Amino acid sequence: MPSINSTIKVDSRDAKLSMAHFYVAFAALAIGGLMGLLQTLVRSGKFELPGGIGYYQVLTVHGVLLGLVLTTFFIMGFQHAAVSRTAGTHSDKARLTGWIGFWVMTLGTVMAAAMVLMNKATVLYTFYAPLQAHWIFYLGLTFVVVGSWIDGIAQIMTYAKWKKNNPGKPGPLLSFMAVINTVLWIICTIGVAAEVLFQLLPWSLGLIDRVDVLVSRTLFWYFGHPLVYFWLLPAYMAWYVVIPKVIGGKIFSDSLARLSFILFLLFSIPVGFHHQLTEPGIDPAWKFIQVILTFLVIIPSLMTAFAMFATFESAGRAKGAKGMFGWVKKLPWNDARFTVPFIGMAAFIPAGAGGIINASNQMDQVVHNTIWITGHFHLTLATSVVLTFFGISYWLIPHLTGRKLTKKMNKLALIQAWVWFIGMAFMSGSMHAEGLLGAPRRSAFSTYMGAKQAAEWIPYQIAQAVGGTILFIGIILILIIFINLAFFAPKGEEEFPVGEQAENAEATPMVLENWKLWIGISIVLILFAYTIPFIDMIQNAPIGSKGFKTW
Amino acid sequence: MAKAQLKNGPKSNPKVQHKEESESLKGTMASVMFLGFFIIVTWLGVYFLFVDRF
Ligand code: HEM
Ligand SMILES: [Cu+2]
Repeated sequence: MPSINSTIKVDSRDAKLSMAHFYVAFAALAIGGLMGLLQTLVRSGKFELPGGIGYYQVLTVHGVLLGLVLTTFFIMGFQHAAVSRTAGTHSDKARLTGWIGFWVMTLGTVMAAAMVLMNKATVLYTFYAPLQAHWIFYLGLTFVVVGSWIDGIAQIMTYAKWKKNNPGKPGPLLSFMAVINTVLWIICTIGVAAEVLFQLLPWSLGLIDRVDVLVSRTLFWYFGHPLVYFWLLPAYMAWYVVIPKVIGGKIFSDSLARLSFILFLLFSIPVGFHHQLTEPGIDPAWKFIQVILTFLVIIPSLMTAFAMFATFESAGRAKGAKGMFGWVKKLPWNDARFTVPFIGMAAFIPAGAGGIINASNQMDQVVHNTIWITGHFHLTLATSVVLTFFGISYWLIPHLTGRKLTKKMNKLALIQAWVWFIGMAFMSGSMHAEGLLGAPRRSAFSTYMGAKQAAEWIPYQIAQAVGGTILFIGIILILIIFINLAFFAPKGEEEFPVGEQAENAEATPMVLENWKLWIGISIVLILFAYTIPFIDMIQNAPIGSKGFKTW
Repeated sequence: MAKAQLKNGPKSNPKVQHKEESESLKGTMASVMFLGFFIIVTWLGVYFLFVDRF
C-alpha cells in the first residue's frame, strides 16, 4: 500500500503536465522512426532520397529527435508522474515550474528542428566541432537543456516537500530514483552547456574565429556518457519498482535498488574518455583511469540483473513454482505491462556484453566508428530503454487520461513488442556483424570504388533494410496504441503500479539518503578524472579550428 | 509467510522441503551464472579477433 503521503492516483493537473511531455515525445518518435526507415533503405543501395535531400540531414533528424527529444521529454513526463504519485501532488509553484520547463524545452526543440529542416544544422546529434551549425540550432539546444533543468527542479521541490513533512524517513523509492536521475542530469549537462555557451555559440555567431576541437569533444563526452544513464535509469525505475507489482511480487530489496542508483550517479560521469579512446591529445594514463571507472559501472548493472532474476523467481515461487526454472512459467506473459519491458531487459544482456567490449581500450579499435556501435545502442537505447518506455506508456497514459488499456490494445502491444524484437534482431544483429567486418557507421551507401571489402558488407545492409522495415511497422503500431490510449480508449481507471518491499527485507539505512555525501563523492571523482587532463589540453592547445559546413 | 511456516514446519518433512523450495533462489543463481558466462564468451570472441588483426 502507498504510504500516508502519497496519492494513489496522479492529480489531474499533474497528469496534464506529464501528458504534454508525452505528446512531444511520441511526435518525435513518429518523425524520427520514418527517418530511420529511410536510412536503412538508402544504406541498402536500392533506394535514393528524393529531391536531393542529403543523407546526413536525415540522419541528423533521426539522431536529434530520437536520441535527444524523445528521450528527454518522455523521461521528464514520466518522472513528474512518478514523483507526483509517490511523493504527493505538486504544489502550484512546483507545477508552474514544471510547465515553464516544458515550454522552454519545447521552444528550444522548435528552434533546433527548424534549423535542421532548413539544412542549416546538418551536424548530427553529437554536433561535433569543427562542423558548424547555425547559431539558432545551438541556442535551441541550450533551451532544451535549461528547460529540462527547470523541469527537474520542479521534481526536486516536491521531493523536498515530502522530506520536510516526513523527517528522518527515507523518501519514497520511486521519487528517490527520479531525483537521483535529475541530479545526474544536472551535473552532466553542465559540460555540454559549457561547450555550447563558451565555444559553439560564440563561434557560430562569429564572435570568435576558432574553437578548440579536443576541448569541445571532451566537454561533450563528459555529458555524453551520463546521457545514456539518464536514459537508462527511468527504465530501471520501472524494472525495480513497477514490474514487481505488475507480476504480483515484491521489490527484492529497497536498499539494493537505492545503492545501485547511487553507484550509477558516482560512476557514470567521470568516464567520458571511453568515447575518446582513439583520440590523440589525451594521455593514455588518464584514459586508463577512466576505463577502470567505466568498468565499475558493471557492478550496479549486475546488481540490477541479479535483483530482476530474484524478483521474478521469488514471485514465481510464492505462487508455487517448482524446480530450477518453474517460476518462468508463472510470469504474466499475456500482460503487456510485463512482457514488453521484459523483452527490453532480455535485450540488455547482449547490449551490456557489447558495452564491455566497447570500453575495453584496445578492443575498441576493432569496433570504433563502425556500424557495430550503432547496433549496440539500438539494443541499449532503441530496445531496452524504448521498449520499457512503451511498457510504461501502456498503464501510465490511460492512468493519466482516465482511460483503460483494453484487451485488444494489450494484444496489439504484445504484437508490437515482438515485431520490434524481430526487426531489431535483423537490424542490430547485422549491424554488429557488419561492424566486425569493418563497415563504417554514419555513411550512406557506397561501394568505395569497387573495393572488395565493401562488397562483403552489402548483404548485411540489405538485412538492415529488412529489419528497418519491420521496425517501422512497429513504429506504426505503437503510434496507434498511443493515440488510442490518449484519445479513444474507453473511460476507466488504470492502476499506477508501485511495488512494495519484501517483508523479510532489511530496513533502508539512512546513509543512502545522504545527498551531501553522494554528490560530494561524485564531484571529487569528476575532479580527479578530469582536472589534470583538462589542464594538459589547455596548456598544449593548438590554434583551434575554423567552422566547416560540409553539407 | 511466518504463519505458514509455523503450521507446516513440525508436521512433516516434505512440507519443510516445500518451504525451502518456495524461498530458494537457485534459478537466479543459474541465470546470473549464464549471464556471466555469456559476457565472458562474447568478450573473448572479440578479444581473439583483436589479437588476430592487430
Ligand atoms: C524504425 C526504427 C529505427 C530504425 C530503422 C533505425 C535505423 C538507424 C540507422 C540505420 C542508423 C545509422 C545510420 C548510420 O550510421 O549511417 C541509426 C542511427 C541512430 N539511431 Fe536509429 N533506428 C530506429 C529507431 C531508433 C530509436 C527508437 C532510437 C532512439 C530512441 C534511435 C536512435 C538512433 C541514434 C541516436 C542514431 C545515431 C545517429 C548518428 O550516428 O548521428 N533509433 N538508426
Ligand atoms: Cu559511454
